[in-house]
Amino acid sequence: MSATAPPTARQWNDMDAFEAFLNDGGIVEVDDQMPDQYRSAVFAFIEMHANSELMGGLTERDWIPRTPGLRHKMSVLAKTQDEIGHGHLLYMVAADMGVKTRIEMLEDLFAGRSRFHNVFHYQAVTWGDQVAIAFLVDAAALASQQAVFKNCSYGPYRRILKRIISEEGFHMRLGEDRMMRIAQGTDIQKEIFQDALNRWFWPALQLFGPDSKPNDLLLRWHIKSERNEVLRNKWVQKFVPMLQSYGFSVPAPDLAFDQESNTWDVGPIDWEPLKRTLAQGGPDSARRISEAKDNWERTQWVRDAMERSAMQADTGVSA
Amino acid sequence: MSDQSISSDQLTGRVQAAIARVDDPEYPGISIVDLGLLEQLDVDRNGAVTVGLIPTFSGCPALAMIRDDVHRAIAAVAGVTDVKVAWLPSPVWTVDRISAQTRETMAREFTVAVRIGTHAPACPRCGAPTEEHSMFGPSRCRSVNRCTSCAETVEVMRS
Repeated sequence: MSATAPPTARQWNDMDAFEAFLNDGGIVEVDDQMPDQYRSAVFAFIEMHANSELMGGLTERDWIPRTPGLRHKMSVLAKTQDEIGHGHLLYMVAADMGVKTRIEMLEDLFAGRSRFHNVFHYQAVTWGDQVAIAFLVDAAALASQQAVFKNCSYGPYRRILKRIISEEGFHMRLGEDRMMRIAQGTDIQKEIFQDALNRWFWPALQLFGPDSKPNDLLLRWHIKSERNEVLRNKWVQKFVPMLQSYGFSVPAPDLAFDQESNTWDVGPIDWEPLKRTLAQGGPDSARRISEAKDNWERTQWVRDAMERSAMQADTGVSA
Repeated sequence: MSDQSISSDQLTGRVQAAIARVDDPEYPGISIVDLGLLEQLDVDRNGAVTVGLIPTFSGCPALAMIRDDVHRAIAAVAGVTDVKVAWLPSPVWTVDRISAQTRETMAREFTVAVRIGTHAPACPRCGAPTEEHSMFGPSRCRSVNRCTSCAETVEVMRS
């Protein structure tokens, strides 16, 4: 059953040697003496991913009592557990890097000191918003994660990503199912989805971030495998015609189709909203963060109980 | 689309093969047959197919999706005239239904271990024992363990 024995800790004389190792397709493991810059860049990336899974799970959870019908309730329940579970796995992998403990990461998140994806800084007002998120945002997140997995040089993250991607692929199908149902629904349902689309199209597109800088270290160190603008463009080419084919309009005033290259162009992108979310100044940032913090504080008793129970198991004495 | 030239056995074989190509929605490459979800398969002489599946757990959100996937796969088999796919209330699925070969694939491809009985399973990466870190992971049928040797974060499927 065991595949390969874990390699013993490796070290590199300098950054050149380390980069040569990465360029050869080398995979870094947790015990390796990796360069500090690599360690902190990879850690920050995983931490943001973990934060986003947690914040996304909490958003999904808000909809458990409000889904239209049992079929959707089952999918919302499962997605909530998936996202929280992914956050859990990612926080474990991030904490193992020795930059911050899990608690420190959570405290930073709840104090508004660390980042999570822009899309979780907006409020989901209607079920239509949830459909738009599952359809557009999950697809964008999945595309980004697939691009990371493709060439990811950090082993523990790569292995977790493989499972996360498989599950996000399932969410993608649930999103398509939700979208199909609303797209084939009544005029009111279609209107609700069009409204949601107007709110979510741009945040979803901005999930990919602005064009990658020429010296992007995450690309150089084989964490990302594709430039942001390339991934964003693929998403545009897929979703613009798809939304139109279901009878919805894409809320981009300068949307244009180029006959020659057979591609869609959404026009200039205003990056100000993205910048605001990264500074915790998005339309719903404050409420989201404070709710996450309240949730953490309200569940303190569970952690206390677990700690007591672990102490009892260790000492054999009841506290 | 009734095809009189093939025998009922041949048709059953084709239908079986078609079902075996339906993957679990959360584990691409791992078939629902490998996971032990196929409980009953009847193909009558007219080409009508009846399939009984059992869920890993009854609240699984993928039930409709898996049923539709199985339905589509069987309907595409030449000679099939009718398809009925149902989720059966019994027997109850357990991890014992996952074939040994599939357990190996899950360990190798997904770093997911399968717990048989109450013993914490070995680390799929290095083979050392793992310890339970959390009773639940991304789904109710999985816990999160940690390897005592290489510190790998391991998901453990259990029933």
